Amino acid sequence: MSESIHPAVCSAQPSQRADKNPDAPLFEGAYKERFDHILSRYPNKRAALLPVLNMAQELRGWLSPATITRVAELLELTPDYVRSVASFYTMFQLRPVGRHLIQVCIGIGCDLCGAEEVVEDLLEATGTRIGETSRDGKYTVVEVECLGACGFPTVVQVNDKVYENVKPEDVEGLMKELD
Amino acid sequence: MNETSPVLNVTIDGIQVSVPKGATILEAAERVGVVIPRYCYHPGLSAPAVCRMCLVEVDGAPKPLPSCVQQVQDGMVVHTASAEARKARRAAVEFLLVNHPLDCPICDAAGQCELQDYAFETGQLRTRNIEPKAVLGRDKLTPDILYFADRCVLCTRCVRFMDEIAQEPVLQVIQRGHKGYIDTMTDELFEHPFSMNIVDVCPVGALVNEDFLFKPRAWDLDQTPSICPGCSQGCNVLLGTKENRVLRAKPRPNNEVNSYWMCDHGRQALVNWGAGDRIEVPMIRESGRLAPTDWPQALAALSRTLEARPAGARAIVSAGASNESLYIARKLADKVGFKGGVFRVETGPEAGLPGFPKLRLRAERAPNVRGAELLGFRRSADVLEAIRGHKGVLIVLEDALIDAPEDFGVELEMFIYVGTHMSPAARRADIILPSTTFAEAEGSFTNVEGRVQRFAQALHPPGLARPLWLTGSTALAGLGAGAVYRTAAAAFDALVGEFGEFQGLSYAKLGLGGASVAEAESSAANVS
Repeated sequence: MSESIHPAVCSAQPSQRADKNPDAPLFEGAYKERFDHILSRYPNKRAALLPVLNMAQELRGWLSPATITRVAELLELTPDYVRSVASFYTMFQLRPVGRHLIQVCIGIGCDLCGAEEVVEDLLEATGTRIGETSRDGKYTVVEVECLGACGFPTVVQVNDKVYENVKPEDVEGLMKELD
Repeated sequence: MNETSPVLNVTIDGIQVSVPKGATILEAAERVGVVIPRYCYHPGLSAPAVCRMCLVEVDGAPKPLPSCVQQVQDGMVVHTASAEARKARRAAVEFLLVNHPLDCPICDAAGQCELQDYAFETGQLRTRNIEPKAVLGRDKLTPDILYFADRCVLCTRCVRFMDEIAQEPVLQVIQRGHKGYIDTMTDELFEHPFSMNIVDVCPVGALVNEDFLFKPRAWDLDQTPSICPGCSQGCNVLLGTKENRVLRAKPRPNNEVNSYWMCDHGRQALVNWGAGDRIEVPMIRESGRLAPTDWPQALAALSRTLEARPAGARAIVSAGASNESLYIARKLADKVGFKGGVFRVETGPEAGLPGFPKLRLRAERAPNVRGAELLGFRRSADVLEAIRGHKGVLIVLEDALIDAPEDFGVELEMFIYVGTHMSPAARRADIILPSTTFAEAEGSFTNVEGRVQRFAQALHPPGLARPLWLTGSTALAGLGAGAVYRTAAAAFDALVGEFGEFQGLSYAKLGLGGASVAEAESSAANVS
């Protein structure tokens, strides 16, 4: 990580720079630099918890108890506290998710425009049920409340990428793209 | 609160009250007897203002304010029962009841539940909610504490107790909103010597003591103020009794001793206190066999022994006996002229509470060590060793000598046992007089810091058992040595007259909060 990255954005890097690996070392090399950058932004270590958890999830895909414990050690907090904070935010995964986390908006706009059918088709295409991970570890489909793009229903977000105007007939193409 | 701090005048529900700067509306209201409903606020903990139950209307404020954190300002006019305040509370209760299982008939907290109270007070007859209720289930947190997540109002009192008082922050709120619950990091149970306090602070039935679960209903318990005899700390407690048994003990607030807390050791020790093989009638040995008798005969036998002034008699007393009993024991000793008198103290591991350092589970597991010492008895590591080889008269007061050898006392000329429980050693006694436990008579203990604290009678004594101070003073009166003390108060006030350390105290003065021997000493010193 170069010095050109301003501390203010160091925790907002596009994810999946590294392959998500549940056993990836936490915050080494470039990630160590980012970690230090993050700490430099806050008056104390506790305040840096959210961006650090973000980075941990980016590296490992989800926040396992071991990851939580390690983050707690690094930030001099108790694991219980870190778990409490992580569990408050739905965007932190406390269980393993597939490589592609497919989030379908079921907010009022998308719902009225047929989000339900999109969800059903996605579940059929991935062979899973809501919140479950496919057997090959590739996909997890979840319903989320508003994704903030109500003008373009149905909105589907796969990891960090947002797909707009998804119709049931688009699901096949989407799946191909993900493969 | 010192006198130099500025005083603010506020009006609460039309009542004027002056409070020091920094006081909250809730505290100010309590001063004039207005109790504002609350869940997250607890006087022993910080106030996070999360429950929204203590909202009150303040003139000039745009919306209701949380009274537990809102500090009063001069001239503030507060309405705790106005339409707006009631509406705010009603809304808070309605939200809490959205997913509440309403399982009061099988809930341990029913009858002592603040959710029940406030739902009854401010809630509505029928729910407006037509959705199915969220179900979270239950969990076991410690070996003795169950957590019913569905009943929880997420006030976080337990979280803050573990964080601020125990300073072992193992409990946290997990998830949020209607999915929120209290949990530890791992599935393993946690253990803490003061863990049971989280059950006390729980305003609803979310945290329950498994040992007490489904036994009595809260409203069936008689509550008696008492002192925990589990160690020399002397925590102020409320004994919950039913059908002449102690079923639970809860801490009784006293900032000088235990604040709002007490340890698990004390609670467990108090449940079923005094159960076992109780002595119910006086007994006298006649031609080798113990025969039950009545009090006049037994006291006559005791008087005959004492009248003979047995030279070199010895005595073993108990640090579990009250000041009054030990005082009479002292008088008996002086009258008969026997040497000293020893007692022993069981010890165990200590445990502290960092958030309230005054309170410790003390190593000395007896309530009246200090009192016994002040009254001239000597602590001995091994009381049996202290009387080894003794052949004359032995008087044992309230120590069952359960560790004594089988042939204990065969060499003794005369063995008098005044106690509560039968034991192999006690069976060897020539005169056995039934005595009461601390729960069966009133009296006082002197704790490790020299604080003299009264306890009230919670149970009926079994059979003909009488407190030691009554038995002893009757025997002494029979010998023409003093009056019969018919109340603990009379015995204590006589004690104060004879022992300088207690000067300035009186049974009435002790009240329910107790008074310190040291304070009495210093005030006596000032007078003279």
